[in-house]
Amino acid sequence: MADVTLRKVRKSYGNLEVVHGVDLDIKSGEFVVFVGPSGCGKSTLLRMIAGLEPITDGEVSIEGRVVNDVPSPQRGIAMVFQSYALYPHMTVYENMAVGLKLKKTPKEEVDQRVKEAARILQIEPYLDRMPKALSGGQRQRVAIGRAIVRNPKVFLFDEPLSNLDASLRAQTRVEIARLHDTLDATMIYVTHDQVEAMTLADRIVVLNAGNIEQVGSPLELYRNPVNTFVAGFIASQRMNFIKVTPEGNQLRLPGNIPLTLSGVDVSKVKTIGARPEHLELASPETAHLSGTLAVIEQFGEYALAYVELPNGETVTIKLDGAPDLQLHQEMHIALPEGQVHLFDAEGRVIRA
Amino acid sequence: MDNTGPSRLTAIALTFMAVIWVSPFSWLLLNAFNPLSTGQLEFPRAFSFDNFGLAVSGNAGRQFLNSLIIAAGTATLSVVVGISAAYPLSRLRIPGRNAFLWTLVLLRMLPSAGVLVPLYFAAQRSGLLNQLGVIIALTILNLPFTLLLLKNFFDTVPIELEEAAYVEGASLLQIVTKIVLPMSRAGIAVVWFFSFTGAWNEFLLPLIFARVQDAFPMSVGLYAAFGQQGAINYGFLTAFSILYAAPAIAVYFLLRRNMNTGFAGVGVKG
Repeated sequence: MADVTLRKVRKSYGNLEVVHGVDLDIKSGEFVVFVGPSGCGKSTLLRMIAGLEPITDGEVSIEGRVVNDVPSPQRGIAMVFQSYALYPHMTVYENMAVGLKLKKTPKEEVDQRVKEAARILQIEPYLDRMPKALSGGQRQRVAIGRAIVRNPKVFLFDEPLSNLDASLRAQTRVEIARLHDTLDATMIYVTHDQVEAMTLADRIVVLNAGNIEQVGSPLELYRNPVNTFVAGFIASQRMNFIKVTPEGNQLRLPGNIPLTLSGVDVSKVKTIGARPEHLELASPETAHLSGTLAVIEQFGEYALAYVELPNGETVTIKLDGAPDLQLHQEMHIALPEGQVHLFDAEGRVIRA
Repeated sequence: MDNTGPSRLTAIALTFMAVIWVSPFSWLLLNAFNPLSTGQLEFPRAFSFDNFGLAVSGNAGRQFLNSLIIAAGTATLSVVVGISAAYPLSRLRIPGRNAFLWTLVLLRMLPSAGVLVPLYFAAQRSGLLNQLGVIIALTILNLPFTLLLLKNFFDTVPIELEEAAYVEGASLLQIVTKIVLPMSRAGIAVVWFFSFTGAWNEFLLPLIFARVQDAFPMSVGLYAAFGQQGAINYGFLTAFSILYAAPAIAVYFLLRRNMNTGFAGVGVKG
């Protein structure tokens, strides 16, 4: 267990800066997820913590010690790679024992620690197999086991689930959450999948184009995103953004319907955001938005209706159950007060 | 139409082809086991291993050993030098490394006889007109292809494996010997065996470099056997030829066994 601190960390490849001064405090035992679109610098940041990428500027400390110039093996970290990176010519046991053997750990201790990790991950029956005789999920566990065996202060995961199929991914996600609870270790996890971020993290770090957009607990990010990027990125259904024009203390929605919000200065509002699950169907008189149903996706437990407004914009609404809707029918939607996010021209949130 | 017509014709044609193919080999085998061999294609009246006995003793045995030293030495040196040069070529971003490699290969495309004279003088000046000289010269001639082949094999070893080993505390030497080399075993085997057969079959270089009979390898010995003491001993010659060909067959089977690996990439994905 150890805390990890990043101070104004920058990374450049030649003249191209890809990480622009990141500041972050990760508490001991915390599960932090770096999330963002591809190319946002999340993996680069993780690799800098791991010591696989030199740090251009700034400081990375682990347990209060600046590790910028400390080689990877002495940083007390273990890394799980997206590709698992198992050694194909070694058995599962040997794969897990490599790190300890390199440190000249006594044989009995190696054996005991490998068996303990295998027990935690339920891979005991496969210890004598070669990696190629394992399924993807089992390989992933061996890769995690190899990290556990070394008893690191900080676990680093680089998109560990992206090579697994959907059901296995959900299962392994739960196992990683359980593992964090069991080991009580600091974990830094990189993913582009916001579902993994929401479900695993104590705190999420949303990155975009080499900058931190927002840091917070999953629910904080869900409820109070600081800008349109975070609002659009977090949660499984993307937030609806609707362009509005302020008029006195009201906002004029497409279709010229006024939206009144109490206690907010709306003069700078350019966009409003509302999550599909917060929109409600309404009668034509009380509706804020009206349009025709362009597409409906039925999931059984819920349905997503894509409503095309007269101005060409599309609004998604999540409906419970399996609603009986016809394509191209009229839809009327209400925006419940308190569930509407307001953003200015730069996409920053305006709070009441 | 007569249905048997074409098939009979085919059978005759095939038999003819088979005889053409088989007769040199049968000539070789029949004469080798015939102590009274005359060089005719005939069924031997006696059968013994005497010819083979002659072919492994004395000068001939010495030549077998020389061939083995040259071939194994060249193959091993090629692999060692090739690995030490190909790994950095594979991993470091050296500008123009591919152009460099292909230029080397282009140079190697020129017939080696073309560089024989400079090679000879270089060896003479450095006192290497001996077996070591042959080994070094053959290794140099092998190197372009060895480099190209090994570099491509190293390229297939995922860099994550090396990073994983590095994070776990492996030194560069340990990464290379414990991860990269075992995973490139098939490539190394190909390079070793091809260098081995290449050097085993080499005739011109040893002939010119090793000017005393004691240093001749089998390829040169075979040539010399044609004219020894005026008459040709066909029994000895055929047995010697068979022994000379044997390593090629052994290499074939060893190579096949070593090629049945192909696990590069298994550690990755699922």
